[in-house]
Amino acid sequence: MDSLIAAAGRALVAGDALGALKRVALRDDPPALALRGIAMAQLGEYPRARELLRRAARGFGTREALARARCVVAGAEVALAMRDLGGSPRALAEAATALDARGDRANALQARLIAVRRLLLLGRLDEASAALVGLDAKGLPPSLAAITELATAELALRSLRTADARSALDRAFAAAQRAAIPALLAEVTEARAALDRAAARRIHAGHEEPLRLEQIEALMGSDVLVVDACRRGLRAGDVWVPLARRPILFALLRALAENWPGDVERNALIARVFRTRQPDETHRARLRVEVGRLRSLVAPLLDIQASARGFTLVPTDDRGVVVLVPPIDGEQASLLALLADGAAWSTSALALALGDSQRTVQRALAELEAAGQVRSIGRARAQRWLAPPLVGFTTTLLLPAALPPE
Amino acid sequence: MSRNPASSTSAQAPTRAAEIVREYGPFEGARNVAGVTFDGHHVWTAIGSKVVAFDPANGEVERSVECAADAGTAFDGTHLYQIAEARIDKIDPSTGAVVASIPAPGNGGDSGMAWAEGSLWVGQYRDRKIHQINPDTGAIIRTIESNQFVTGVTWVDGELWHGVWDGDESELRRIDAESGAVLERLEMPHGTGVSGLESDGAGMFYCGGGPSGKVRAVRRPPR
Repeated sequence: MDSLIAAAGRALVAGDALGALKRVALRDDPPALALRGIAMAQLGEYPRARELLRRAARGFGTREALARARCVVAGAEVALAMRDLGGSPRALAEAATALDARGDRANALQARLIAVRRLLLLGRLDEASAALVGLDAKGLPPSLAAITELATAELALRSLRTADARSALDRAFAAAQRAAIPALLAEVTEARAALDRAAARRIHAGHEEPLRLEQIEALMGSDVLVVDACRRGLRAGDVWVPLARRPILFALLRALAENWPGDVERNALIARVFRTRQPDETHRARLRVEVGRLRSLVAPLLDIQASARGFTLVPTDDRGVVVLVPPIDGEQASLLALLADGAAWSTSALALALGDSQRTVQRALAELEAAGQVRSIGRARAQRWLAPPLVGFTTTLLLPAALPPE
Repeated sequence: MSRNPASSTSAQAPTRAAEIVREYGPFEGARNVAGVTFDGHHVWTAIGSKVVAFDPANGEVERSVECAADAGTAFDGTHLYQIAEARIDKIDPSTGAVVASIPAPGNGGDSGMAWAEGSLWVGQYRDRKIHQINPDTGAIIRTIESNQFVTGVTWVDGELWHGVWDGDESELRRIDAESGAVLERLEMPHGTGVSGLESDGAGMFYCGGGPSGKVRAVRRPPR
């Protein structure tokens, strides 16, 4: 490392990106390009930063594999911050291997965390979870430990393991305090606050009550039958009967559950499920058919019995029935509730689940996207919709770790 | 890319593995060892925001001077010379005061410095050069071309040695001060950087270890 690179590196580590830039602004050798790229990234000039880091990586000779790998990692971090998820993950994986082989564990871990965060943003939760297992931040900078725990918390929240999420966030908070990076601390604090916000409402015997994630998890873990209008299905402990692809059956189940333990009159069911105010005999016949279909799907958990004027739910084993609905009413809230599982949904799957036209759903999604509440990846038929990350960890560029002290 | 005009020479030069006798440090507060020099008793080591002097007999730090210390270090018998950013500071080691500054010949691309025969010898890292300069004015007297990255320079018994560090490979090499031809090579272990080089005037070289924060003592081949 030469003197100005060393001086610029010192400035960068001290948080003085402009001071670093000033020292190497006119130089085009690879270490200077790398430093300029990192400084630009810290100033939020992402496209320029990526270009500089690419040139730096190309400029380092094949013998300077360590410096080159660090540039690849820094470039991937910038791409993530730009939400450009299109690149191939192979270069990043190769960089991680090269860094490990040279004993640079911190940057190798950072490379792997970038890969995990990318998978999380793509909604590929199983792969993210598999990649996260075995990552070990022990003895490494606390900022990396904080990011590891944030990713763990995100995965736990998506699968509604709130106790796991809370303890991961506690560990993330402690690590972020040690790291003393204000942006990181703010993100962890925000994620912890999100745990305490209402995430759904419970409708039980005509009463509504807001629920936090922990209360939802407790409800799911109890022996109550939960008709979940957020994720569209019936849950009883570990048993999950998905009905997202059966909107008529779900509407029927929800209508019956909202009135449980009372019954629901036939014409009221027809009006709600088939959306018609003038029922005739064909509707009554169709209702019988749909009730029969639903009955067989939910069979061991509950029965649907005919009453004098309509139908009523009869759970087995004296279980109670509650309905869980999104925290606020409306099309957009329903979409957000469906996307809360963190998976990538197609427009058609969302439309099917909500029983709306694709055009209606597309419109609602466009509004949500403009408000930053949903994200999409891919184009045309391959387009998929995702909830924004619960923990916004990608705004924290950890680039100084990628800084080459050669 | 033509980066190795004299590679045939370097391939023929006698080559052996460097014998590392001892390691010192890592020193407290050091992100990176940037330069080393020897004052007859102590090894002075530049570590970014200060230069520390340790006793090579026991490795204990005995002195320290606060100053910007980004690259090579040299000692002329009275003053320390220290590269900081794009200049060379002349420092009174007893007070740490900068008594003069001259521009560095590589304009900030400098790495490695030695004092010999009334001149400063300054390595220009990626440009693979060693400049002989006037220590009062900074004027370049002449320039020797190497065929490898230069990360340290030292003179001992009329021999000019420089440190090479390129990725995972580094070595100490003796070159012809006139032609730049490589005369002898000592290969450091794979993955060991050389940042800064100084001889003690006898049988030992001291090598800065870059981000390891260490200084390594390497035996000079007997004549």
